[in-house]
Amino acid sequence: MPAVEIVSVTKTFGEVTAVDDLSLSAPEGSVYGFIGPNGSGKTTTIRMIVNIFYPDRGQIRVLGEEMSGARNHLIGYLPEERGLYRKMQVRALLEFFGELRGGRNVGKEVSAWLARLDLEHCANRRVATLSKGMSQRVQFIAAVVPEPKLLILDEPFTGLDPVSADALREAILDLRRRGATVILSTHDMTVAETMCDHICMIFRGKKVLDGTLASIQDQYSNDTIRVAVGGGLAVLDDLPGVEKVRDLGQVQELRMALGCDPHEVLRALVERTRVTSFSVAKPSLHDIFVRIAGPAAEEVEVA
Amino acid sequence: MRKILLMAKRDYVESVRTKAFIIGLVVAPLLFGGGFLGIAILKKQPDLHEKRIAVLDRTALVAPALVRAVAEKNAKEAYDKITHAQTAALYVLQAVAPAAGDAEAQRLALSDRVRSRELFAFLEIWPQALHPGRETKPKAPGVAYYTNAGGIDTTRNWLREPLNRAVRSVQLAQLGVEDGHFEDLLTPVAIDPMSLLMRDARTGALQQAKKKDEIADFAAPFGMVLMLIMIVMVGTAPMLSAVTEDKNQRIFEMLLGLATPMELMAARVLAALGRSLTSSAFYICGALLVLQGMAMMGSIPLHLLPWFFVYLVAYVTMLSSFASALGAACNSPQDAQNLATVLVAPIMIPFFVMMPVMTAPNGAMATAMSLFPPFTPVLMLLRQCMPMGVPAWQPWVGLVGILLWTAGITWVAARIFRVGILMQGQPPKLSEIIRWAWAK
Repeated sequence: MPAVEIVSVTKTFGEVTAVDDLSLSAPEGSVYGFIGPNGSGKTTTIRMIVNIFYPDRGQIRVLGEEMSGARNHLIGYLPEERGLYRKMQVRALLEFFGELRGGRNVGKEVSAWLARLDLEHCANRRVATLSKGMSQRVQFIAAVVPEPKLLILDEPFTGLDPVSADALREAILDLRRRGATVILSTHDMTVAETMCDHICMIFRGKKVLDGTLASIQDQYSNDTIRVAVGGGLAVLDDLPGVEKVRDLGQVQELRMALGCDPHEVLRALVERTRVTSFSVAKPSLHDIFVRIAGPAAEEVEVA
Repeated sequence: MRKILLMAKRDYVESVRTKAFIIGLVVAPLLFGGGFLGIAILKKQPDLHEKRIAVLDRTALVAPALVRAVAEKNAKEAYDKITHAQTAALYVLQAVAPAAGDAEAQRLALSDRVRSRELFAFLEIWPQALHPGRETKPKAPGVAYYTNAGGIDTTRNWLREPLNRAVRSVQLAQLGVEDGHFEDLLTPVAIDPMSLLMRDARTGALQQAKKKDEIADFAAPFGMVLMLIMIVMVGTAPMLSAVTEDKNQRIFEMLLGLATPMELMAARVLAALGRSLTSSAFYICGALLVLQGMAMMGSIPLHLLPWFFVYLVAYVTMLSSFASALGAACNSPQDAQNLATVLVAPIMIPFFVMMPVMTAPNGAMATAMSLFPPFTPVLMLLRQCMPMGVPAWQPWVGLVGILLWTAGITWVAARIFRVGILMQGQPPKLSEIIRWAWAK
């Protein structure tokens, strides 16, 4: 049974269609990546899943039940717009949210999470005195006490230092290992690639990608070359069959035109400079995202 | 319900702990009672300076009688009866003979003396003053009072009684009435206000009429309504800015994942009720202690306390849900401040018409306004507190009206609140807010 099932859902705000005939299914016990550019309808979809907005058309089933908010106590929700009662003490605030989600005697669980995310020393501090990263970890705890069956995280890693991000990543995966389903909305394609079992991309309210990373990449041929060369970027100009060059710093990504032979590209490169690395691969999720939602997509739309 | 209680408890505890609430408990009565306190203080600190008034008497008859009447009034009213200490200003009249030449020049000279503060004012008395009932064409002047006193000048009122007394005594003398009868003829007859007689329902004994305390008759309804207004203000005033603040701090989205907008708003309203009941306990206990100390418990309509609480609950529910909706529509504390006037309108409008309603509590205007639901709590309670009361059906009709009104306002407010709390950016237009109320 999918943890979340959305069937032909449409939501409009006045003249604007935020979500357009969207269907998706998040398998139970998976990390389901939800990607898409700003304004594509991700937050609206999430708000419909947690019963903040109601769809104009279509059906949403959450944890096996028609959307009614009845299962909200089983859902942990970390919204993109972070907000906490600034005058409350951290522990009191977390216990309040825990009880609000139907938990009883959540003190022990709160203590365990505070220790796990290195916030024990902040337990009696007011939220207003915390740093941004600390507040974010506190808000994450508010979303997972008591332990949810479905955890919805909207950009959970934004603003976190690497240590905090690692701790949070480990906590999310641990919850998944214990059976929770995680819906992870993110703009960080590396996070989506490394953490998500399934990825769904929506663009202008419509679903444009849905599946595992491998199945999504399978939709594209091996049209990407990753190279590391000496002599600067100029040596990559006017390579035969190369449509686009993307500089990643130490490595460059070349997108080949249809029918382009990578051997020809390698031969041309070797003639121009010293090549320290050369590999042919499927496009990265980032590249796929840009191909769908980048300026080229805008041009197609205009045409 | 558990969620509503949890959120209401949090809101209540957090708000009553704030300095603003504690200060508000003390400041609100000072603010409302400050005016009366000021008047009382001013009365304790009267202006004892002599007020010299020139009398230009063109009758040649009234001035001596007037000087006498003023001296008598000074003696009667300007000194404490027990300590004999002066408690009010003394009026000193100075008769001035009309000049033979230019009357205008004499008036100008007297005006200059007023301007130089040598005189407080001057009176000019014409012969017509002795025949006020006689019509002349063109209308002849009787008495003119020249002054440059601004604001509320009480002197003219003060002079009215001795002047009339002086004129009447001249008239009586002209009619040949002897001096000894003047007092009886000139002293106005007093009308003593008395309560109605009634028969004790249990014993059947006749209860005699008592002399009514006019101050208590005014103070009891006024005080009770003032208390209702204060308590409602203390309970609901923080709502507007609190909702806006929570909206700015992006708290609502997290909460909306756990509770419906209706539950969120219900919790806020419940917390406001808690605040109001806390402050009502504080004020009512305080007021009862003060009245007990002043031996004025009998003048308080304690039988209206159940109505007081019914109105309080309805009023707080109505205004706090209204405040929640307005707060949700605001994007900044400045917006909230601007809308605060809209919020207090249902309180301030009835507050401003309290005096006319007290003058004619069962008049058409008072009845109609007190049956208009937003004004019912203040005006119906005020009318119920008046000694003559209201027809028995009116409070019940008013109650039905306010319950329906409160339910309607709460429903609309909840719908505005639901949309407003997630709206950011430009503040919405009124038409947009109205649309939210009917949005799916």
